[in-house]
Amino acid sequence: MESDFPILSALIVTPALGALVVMAMPARRPECVRLAGYVFSFAVLALAGWLLFHYEAGSGYQFVEREQWLGDLGVQYKVGVDGISLFMVALNALLFPIALFASANITERTKSFFAWMLALEAALMGVFLSLDLIVFFVFFEFVLVPMYFLILGWGHGRRTYAALKFFIFTMAGSAFLLVGVLVLAFLHSDHTGKLTFDLATLTAWAPEGLDPGAAKALFLGFFAAFAVKVPLFPLHTWLPDAHTEAPTAGSVILAGMLLKMGVYGFLRFSLPLFPQAAVDLAPLLLVLATIGIIYGAIVAAMQPNVKRIVAYSSVAHMGFAVLGIFALTTQGLDGGVFTMISHGLTTSALFLLLGMLYDRRHSYEVDAYRGLWKVMPVLGGLFCVAAFASIGLPGFSGFIGEFLALIGTFIVEKPYAVVGAIGVVFAAVYLLWVFQRTFMGRPTGENAKMKDIGFRELACVVPLLALSLFLGIWPKPVLDVIEPDVKEVIQQVERGSDYREPAPAFEDAPSGHDDGGHE
Amino acid sequence: MLQRAEILGVRDFYRDYFAVAVLIGAALLMVGAMLGAGRLIRPVRPQAEKYVTYEAGSDPVAGWGQSNARYYIYALLFLIFDVEAVFIFPWAVGLEGLGTFGVVEMTVFIVLLALGLVYAWRKGVLRWA
Amino acid sequence: MIGGGIDTGTRIVGPDVDFLAIGPVLALAVAALVVILVRAILRKRGPVNQISLGVGLAGVAAAGVLLGIQWNEVRDDGTITTIAGAVRLDTFGVFLGVVVLAATAMSLFLAASYLEREELEAPEYYALMLLSAAGMLTMTTANDLIVVFVALELLSIPLYVLAAFDRRRLSSQESGIKYFVLGAFSSAVFLYGIALTYGATGTTSLTGIADFLSANTLFEQGTLLAGLALLLVGLGFKVAAVPFHMWTPDVYQGAPTPVTAFMSSATKAAGFAALLRLLGVAFPLYRTDWRPAILGLAVLSLAVGSIAAVIQTDVKRILAYSSIAHAGYILIGLQVDTARGRQASLFYLLVYAFMTVGAFAVITVATRKGDDKHSLDDYRGLALRRPVVGGLLGFFVLAQAGVPLTGGFVVKLEIFSSAVDAGEYGLAIVGVLAAVVAAFIYLRIAVALFTSPGGEAADASEDRPVDRWTAAVLAVTTAAVLFAGILPGAWLTFAKDATFL
Repeated sequence: MESDFPILSALIVTPALGALVVMAMPARRPECVRLAGYVFSFAVLALAGWLLFHYEAGSGYQFVEREQWLGDLGVQYKVGVDGISLFMVALNALLFPIALFASANITERTKSFFAWMLALEAALMGVFLSLDLIVFFVFFEFVLVPMYFLILGWGHGRRTYAALKFFIFTMAGSAFLLVGVLVLAFLHSDHTGKLTFDLATLTAWAPEGLDPGAAKALFLGFFAAFAVKVPLFPLHTWLPDAHTEAPTAGSVILAGMLLKMGVYGFLRFSLPLFPQAAVDLAPLLLVLATIGIIYGAIVAAMQPNVKRIVAYSSVAHMGFAVLGIFALTTQGLDGGVFTMISHGLTTSALFLLLGMLYDRRHSYEVDAYRGLWKVMPVLGGLFCVAAFASIGLPGFSGFIGEFLALIGTFIVEKPYAVVGAIGVVFAAVYLLWVFQRTFMGRPTGENAKMKDIGFRELACVVPLLALSLFLGIWPKPVLDVIEPDVKEVIQQVERGSDYREPAPAFEDAPSGHDDGGHE
Repeated sequence: MLQRAEILGVRDFYRDYFAVAVLIGAALLMVGAMLGAGRLIRPVRPQAEKYVTYEAGSDPVAGWGQSNARYYIYALLFLIFDVEAVFIFPWAVGLEGLGTFGVVEMTVFIVLLALGLVYAWRKGVLRWA
Repeated sequence: MIGGGIDTGTRIVGPDVDFLAIGPVLALAVAALVVILVRAILRKRGPVNQISLGVGLAGVAAAGVLLGIQWNEVRDDGTITTIAGAVRLDTFGVFLGVVVLAATAMSLFLAASYLEREELEAPEYYALMLLSAAGMLTMTTANDLIVVFVALELLSIPLYVLAAFDRRRLSSQESGIKYFVLGAFSSAVFLYGIALTYGATGTTSLTGIADFLSANTLFEQGTLLAGLALLLVGLGFKVAAVPFHMWTPDVYQGAPTPVTAFMSSATKAAGFAALLRLLGVAFPLYRTDWRPAILGLAVLSLAVGSIAAVIQTDVKRILAYSSIAHAGYILIGLQVDTARGRQASLFYLLVYAFMTVGAFAVITVATRKGDDKHSLDDYRGLALRRPVVGGLLGFFVLAQAGVPLTGGFVVKLEIFSSAVDAGEYGLAIVGVLAAVVAAFIYLRIAVALFTSPGGEAADASEDRPVDRWTAAVLAVTTAAVLFAGILPGAWLTFAKDATFL
């Protein structure tokens, strides 16, 4: 905190600079491009590590920087990090080097690929660090562009369709966000005479200043953008297509980071700005989240394509995150944030492993594989671990997140928690089913000749799974950092609405065992 | 007061147009009556030649263009200098009052037109063949 | 002398002429005449093309310097009114003059290599473009309906010829004729509007009309409103607002590409200059009457411009429809009728000029000789074959779609802000939805650029290298669009200073 080094801007600028450097390199030298990509992404990882080390839990936004941007609109470039965004930033910094490292199979237009990836990293950093609504929107929207070109340029079969659908869906959602942001800021300026998009200023004003109808309409406007990104049940159809057609690195980032933008948006903007509307409309979100959990799981079980299975499992996992958040309890929010982190680790690992299979056989069809365990025991073992982590087996991070989310929901809304818990069982069904059909049995035909994974591939996956295991066994360091800011969000909601969080049912989140049903 | 006057002015303006409308009506009526009467009393003997466009004695069927394109250039050049004269006469009458500024302005005007003529000349527009 | 009706001895006092105020117009007109003279004297001998281009650029540069002087003068000392109130020089006029001049300079650059490639007569082309630009500059400072009309004709007539300039190409001829017929028609409508307005108010001066209307109340408003409506129709044609847009796709598609660039940037700016001035200066008291009309134009332009583009397969036509949609956005700023709205419209015109010229610049170099192969299939794989050229076209279409960190986003943000500020939430929502629909079509271009053509390999041998003139335009437009997207502060201040009417 003492140092004046603009660490957060550095986190945004470094990958952007990397993208420019890569773009300036000659296309004939892909090895230079790769090297530069690794160097810059690891530099970001190092910066994020420094940030993690110097972050002090529980003291609000830190390392805040502000600079005037659009003077006449009062838009300022303001960045800051708190416990919630800290881990999103860390996850982002971790996933990109891995995704780049896992992209050895990209041999066409390597330069553009690396440039887009680094641009995407910069944009995502901006999304999670912005504390100004317009700047947030700028990054939120800009994320679409690199992702679009990654899918379009290096995707599989129906990439044109998938990329277009991805872009249009999310852009249509964020259109309402933009109008919502503008309306909010101008209503604020009508009342106070000061035009600003500063999150803190608006958060201080909006809960009392807005009339209930307007707050509800604005909440729905924000909802449109975030629900598409999450994605919540009826708006999720772009996700399986985008995942299936995206290159491996694209899928990793899509699942690992892009989906988090929606949940993060709910947490960072919707709840503090429109607490009463959020409380009133929470049942809607709880219902959609629960439908997502069950629907995602059922549909996943019926997919013939492994990538689609994992994609639908994401719908279910993000359903847990939303469920936890809109339960509006400390445990629920803790669980929501933790599920985001955990999903980022485990689903990314799954996509990486599927990508390795694809590199060898060029197919994502479940039926194409059989008995792989025999020929590639290392990959099989890792897949098994990743599947268990994703299912939420105790001992892995997925368990902590989903358990907390369900507990948090159970305190206030028992039915949703009960239905959601069934979803956990379904998750076991579809993932184990996949595992059984692809890795068990006797390898036939080409399957018998597949090579097991090498060191590079191992190095990509192991850190993710190890981290998932570590967090599953000892989640305290992360929860300790998240919790003060989660509590702050809940207090903001309580200040701005008639909602009161039920008395804490647990002393400390993960060690609790009470049923916690009392008011 | 001013308002009132303006309003009256506008009303008068419309009243003048009413007379125009009456005249148009009368004209239509008269033409209709005369042509209608002719139609009623004349004999009808249609022949192909009667429907051919009259074109100053030349055969309208042979060439598609009805007049030589080169005539347009001459018409245009004539028009330019014709209009120039229309401007120059009143200018000449008021020249003393306009002073030096007037002379400069008219010189500019004539030079501009002359420039057009030079251009047309150098492009070979004035050559017939 | 019969009766001595004219007293030749009396001194006739002409109006004062402030030559600084009309300096830029004179610079461009003189440059055009010199070009004609050079052509007449040298015929086809020697470097006539290069000399003409040099003269033209010198004229534009001189006009630019004069505009700079004007800007300082007007900002510090206030508005200059000259030639008996016919010309009114204010920051607003200078701002749009800068837009027009920038677009003219870039279009001249684009034309330089294009004319050579298509074997067209360069000096005449430059002269016509300079004359048209002179008309546009007149338009930006016109304070009298008659001057507006003269300017309208001066800018339109050379454009009719320019649209049909590639005589050997049928689509260019068609474009010229269509533009001429509809343009002449709209001029007539505009003229009739002037007549009715004059009939109702007794003056053609814009400030005079405002003064009359504030001093008098009309019992009978029909004449004035009809006049206003006809004026709107006439200018609506020029800025290509729906439902007066029918000419746009055909003309943009058929005209030589540098002309299309010029039309979509400079003509639009000039048309909006007249529209803003007419509504803001002459008819501020009738805002309750014209605001709904502009609302209708804006919504229709956004809807038709975005939706009709979806079924197009020709890149130039797509950009034509998108220019209609962009007119819709600019109209939003006009409709809300606030300082913020006008600032947003002005800023939009400035940035849009760079976005559209940039896009057409790429189109100029991307196609081979003939300038008539612009279907999406012709662009397939362009970015793979020629990464810089294709990438830039991608960049410009994404900027037009309003992707953040490009100028296209900031201008839309400003427009939507002004709408929301004025409480026009519905208009803002129509605007963002139109942007989503339009994004679909822009992405189709991007898809074409980045997917391989399959089938037969593209004949890369026919690709021409980018000449330095076009390269300069591309560099300037790219830098401008990026700059406006990332650091728009200075530009916004510029536009803000110019909103004073």
